[in-house]
Amino acid sequence: MKNVIVFVEHSGGQTRKVTFELATQARRLADALGGEARAVVLGAGAQALVEQLKAYPLDVIAYAEDPDVDTFLLDPAVDYLVAVAQSAGPSVVLLPNTMLGRDLAGRLTARLGAAMAGDVTGIEVDGGSVACVSPKLGGKVVTTCAFKNADYGVVTIRPNSFTATAGGTGARTAQIEKPAGKSYAMVVERNVEEASSELGLEEAPVVIAGGRGMGGPEPFTSLLKPLANAFGGAVGASRAAADAGWVPYGLQIGQTGKTVSPQLYIGVGISGAIQHKVGMQTAGTIVAVNKDGTVPMGDFADLLVVGDLFTIVPELTKLVERAKAQA
Amino acid sequence: MKIVVAVKLVPDANAEKRIDSETKRLVRTGVETVLNPFDEYAIEGALQLKERLAAAPGSAEPATVTVFSMAPESAREVLRKALAMGADDAVLLTDAGLQGSDVWATAYAVAAALKKVGFDLVVTGGLADDGNTGGVPGALAEYLGVPGLTNARAIEVADGKLKVQRETDTGYQVVTGPMPALVSVTMAIGEPRYASLKGIMGAKKKTITTISLAELGLDRAVGSDGAKTEVRELAAPPVRGKGRIVEASDGAQGAQVIFDYLKEKKLV
Repeated sequence: MKNVIVFVEHSGGQTRKVTFELATQARRLADALGGEARAVVLGAGAQALVEQLKAYPLDVIAYAEDPDVDTFLLDPAVDYLVAVAQSAGPSVVLLPNTMLGRDLAGRLTARLGAAMAGDVTGIEVDGGSVACVSPKLGGKVVTTCAFKNADYGVVTIRPNSFTATAGGTGARTAQIEKPAGKSYAMVVERNVEEASSELGLEEAPVVIAGGRGMGGPEPFTSLLKPLANAFGGAVGASRAAADAGWVPYGLQIGQTGKTVSPQLYIGVGISGAIQHKVGMQTAGTIVAVNKDGTVPMGDFADLLVVGDLFTIVPELTKLVERAKAQA
Repeated sequence: MKIVVAVKLVPDANAEKRIDSETKRLVRTGVETVLNPFDEYAIEGALQLKERLAAAPGSAEPATVTVFSMAPESAREVLRKALAMGADDAVLLTDAGLQGSDVWATAYAVAAALKKVGFDLVVTGGLADDGNTGGVPGALAEYLGVPGLTNARAIEVADGKLKVQRETDTGYQVVTGPMPALVSVTMAIGEPRYASLKGIMGAKKKTITTISLAELGLDRAVGSDGAKTEVRELAAPPVRGKGRIVEASDGAQGAQVIFDYLKEKKLV
């Protein structure tokens, strides 16, 4: 493996933040392997994103502004990525550990006969071979997994695990030729937006999560959303809140939901059962607000404030907003 | 219509786990093996689909649900749980030669087995609770050579075509495709049902067929020989200690405690 390929995830004309984390790692890995760092950006708006990507240390930015990528599910994107990987020769493909990243990664693993590592939080190159670090079993163990018997490696990276460092190196741009002789069967008939296309929960630097203690759907928008906005973060939830139908399942953090690793996590009215803990325990700082001082959250939170969330959260929002205004 | 649910067995997430400091391996004694929680939703989705097809007017042959797993022989007990939920029969791909299979090897072997079992629709969970990789559904679709409609929160079959609501980060997409196909589901498909007493009794009479590696006639090595990744090291994660617990006298004071702490940490 020599070259490193980054899949650029984007929506609504914006590159997802995690892409820049991937691009920064791609540079480091490509230098260690003696190859190039190449980005692949596909679908509607691809060409416009090339300029944004130039701010990062990439050697090549390959793009295909092809409507098929959005009209048909996954297949066209897989074909483009395979084409880029094959022309690059033995390489490592980096994707974000998001719903889309995982889908593509699985497909690429089969198409390229690749070694795959998922939910990766560290990558090492040792004597030309690649090894990936990832938490497994709900974070109870941390594995280091080495690639073998494969020309290609496919890696999904947990957002917020690496810092993005800007600094363009005069990347060449290249249009990817459309793979010939393909027809696609999975048709995307329509897209329904339920949540506004804000910063993804997995990528947010600050996550404000609500649980059973919120008592209903309304405080998620009236209490937690303003606090999240004040921090420039996102709102998440515990399984209890998602199961109660207070928030969509897409916001659920934990064992059967999303894994987040923000700089700051604030859990509001969440007990912190193992089911939730596995999805947020790698956060930089953990703060909790709960009326009960004996909840499991108290065993691993950096700070647990025992009190009434309905009065504490609005006051905290005011303090954060004021601090932001003064900054 | 033949629906096959591919499930994985995982160590119980709620059990305490520790690493043997000498062998660097996970100590498995005393850790119960359970059905991957995500796969219970796959079973639920398949059973719901079967019931809807049976209730549809003019439905031709009844749909059946087969549960499939690649696992050690001891998995039978866990497969009975899926049968008790309402699956019709089960197939177990079991062979010592499969041990140590990674994402690639698992997808390669399971695809060959599923082709042998036969299917109109394969249903899977989206992720496994232990590895948290989520690569197998997509890789399986590739090796089966069928459309892979992932992250479905609703599945419909009409006129031999598949229509799913596919969850995205901001909402959902309506996606259609031909069958045979593979669908992976999310939790929004519906809470997995509990096995009824009747179901548990009935499960004892249902068949669990086994397939060995030799029967698949694979032309590439799987198991730890064929795997493209190997675990070099297992370590315990850094321990998160108990932090401070502060009683708030009122909202303003509680908020101030948090704010001061965040300021100290340079987070505001």
